[in-house]
Amino acid sequence: MSTPRIWISNDSPEVGEVVRVRALIEHRMETGLRPGTDGKVVPRNIVNEFEARLDGELLFTWQPETAVSRNPYIEFTFIASNASELQMKWGDDAGNIITGSKTLSVK
Amino acid sequence: MIFSKNENFPLAQRRQLLEGAALGLGLALLPTAVRAQLASPTPLKPASAAEVQAIIDGFLQGAQPIEKGLELEMPVLGDNPAAVPVKAKVALPITPESYCEELIILAEGNPRPLACRFSFTPLAGTAEVAIRLRLIESQNIRALARMNDGRVLMTHRHITVTAGGCGM
Amino acid sequence: MTAARYLRAFIPDADVVLLERNPTFWSGPMSNKWLIDIVDTDFVHHDMLGAAGKYGYTLINTTVNAIERDTKTVHTTHGSIDYDYLILSGGIRNAYDAWFGGDRNAAEYTRMNYPNAYEPNAEMLALKRKLKEFKGGTMVMNLPPPPHRCPPSPYERACLMAWHIKRNKIPGKIIILDPKPKIAPIGEGYKAAFEELYPDVITYVPNATIREVDPFNKQIKTAAGDFAFDDAVLMPPHQASDMVWYADLIATGPDGKPTGWADIHPRLFTARADEDVYVLGDSMGTISDQFGHYPKSAHVAHAVAKIAARNIAERVAGKEVVPVLPDNLCYMMVNANPQEEISVVFEYTLDPTGKVLQTQIDMDVRTNDLVAKDFEWIKSRFNDFL
Repeated sequence: MSTPRIWISNDSPEVGEVVRVRALIEHRMETGLRPGTDGKVVPRNIVNEFEARLDGELLFTWQPETAVSRNPYIEFTFIASNASELQMKWGDDAGNIITGSKTLSVK
Repeated sequence: MIFSKNENFPLAQRRQLLEGAALGLGLALLPTAVRAQLASPTPLKPASAAEVQAIIDGFLQGAQPIEKGLELEMPVLGDNPAAVPVKAKVALPITPESYCEELIILAEGNPRPLACRFSFTPLAGTAEVAIRLRLIESQNIRALARMNDGRVLMTHRHITVTAGGCGM
Repeated sequence: MTAARYLRAFIPDADVVLLERNPTFWSGPMSNKWLIDIVDTDFVHHDMLGAAGKYGYTLINTTVNAIERDTKTVHTTHGSIDYDYLILSGGIRNAYDAWFGGDRNAAEYTRMNYPNAYEPNAEMLALKRKLKEFKGGTMVMNLPPPPHRCPPSPYERACLMAWHIKRNKIPGKIIILDPKPKIAPIGEGYKAAFEELYPDVITYVPNATIREVDPFNKQIKTAAGDFAFDDAVLMPPHQASDMVWYADLIATGPDGKPTGWADIHPRLFTARADEDVYVLGDSMGTISDQFGHYPKSAHVAHAVAKIAARNIAERVAGKEVVPVLPDNLCYMMVNANPQEEISVVFEYTLDPTGKVLQTQIDMDVRTNDLVAKDFEWIKSRFNDFL
């Protein structure tokens, strides 16, 4: 787990502009279908929830399942409002939380 | 880059060579059994068609799916099955009154076909997402999106996956 | 250099001699950043004598011109030397004959005027001078067919050259001619960079297998069309370095023709025809039918060098040889202001039959914080053998 890689198409958008975001974290996304070196199945631990918020207000949530690739990538769009911060949060089966954010200077 | 055991190279300074161990090298042959470092997964099997249908029916909740208004973008050929890019986008206008509530993506040939679920709020103002999936074989990818008025949009595309990547 | 160091470390009584035709060490990694002065020459260009002294091996600046495996003798332009074990890690050579047949004149003209600097030598300086002197027009860059040295690097070079062109308001365009059907690896990351950062400079042309190269008239014909150019970076196909051919260790393909790459044991890196010869790095041939070659990267070469050095030490000591799998990763800078990079990571595992399997994960969201990781990576490599 690490700091999220976040790219945003425009961090000073006009109100009403469509903003594109790409975010990626390092995470093994262990499927629970794979034997480890001891021959026993490695227990599942994937990122199972993600949410994006603007100044605390929810934009959307995402529940990945085992088909989502390692180092899960998410790209989404949203309409810029007067909000000053995009906040993102990832959580995995083991209870770990990763957060990341981007400051927005809205015109 | 080499070991050397004789003196005929004029420019180099020879160092004291290995003793008997060096000459006994012929004994250290390639092993007959290569020790495995890490067992790989036993082959994974796709889910049954019934399981896939149950997920679709669970989302439809009796609605008749509309095969328009939802776009699925993927390469036709996935040269890296560990990370196939998939984009889903609701092409209908999104407004505070008419917006997408929920969207699911299925990898119908995977052992667990429900790939992920999205729940949108009207604040998003859009319903466009892109993710990367790991696929065990060539298969259909299906997306379903429910609008807040109950309409369900559906689309699917086939993708062929090969191994590959940059080693070739 | 890595193998030499570790052989001395693992086998203190060994006589280790490194025959190197280049008088100095030019790093392929970071060289694209050097082209646009993000790092200086001292960062990528290094003395080898110091390392040889520090790690206790003999370094001889000479060119190998024949290898007699039956007598275990290597012949060079400065004399001959015999061996117990031989490691060939000469990298790649440019196969200009694939374009020009026996016409050495055309090959030399192309190398002089349109250098690609994929063999580490003075072409690096020529390429940088070319970029600095570029006043505008169409610059064509072709990619060799896979496998080739450092698969993502031509796209990185195109990005950074395009950045230079944009930054200096040069009326220039770069046309990338790629024989592959799409950008690979890190395709999405590069595609986003080309479209979002350099839409007015870079044109990417896939399926552009070369049909004919005319360096004199500045024309290049491909399966995707014919292109005239004002300037170019021309990359012929890559093959294993000359030494592997001298040693008669090139693999034969199903068509009966040489593949151009060494025929090696996929786990032990020894030549199939001669277990006392190791071929390491870019010269290596296929490893697995799932993915073909290991990516021809500095990271892999460095990793297998240490593995092979350890295996040789095990053999010398009469111990069991333990094969070890390498890993791989590459960082690629796609924007110079702000500095942003993408990366790709590879993991290798074995299937129950002992076949090597590859998992590739593209990290293609370009961010500034990968830059620090890139520099950490190169410093840790340099510290390991320089």
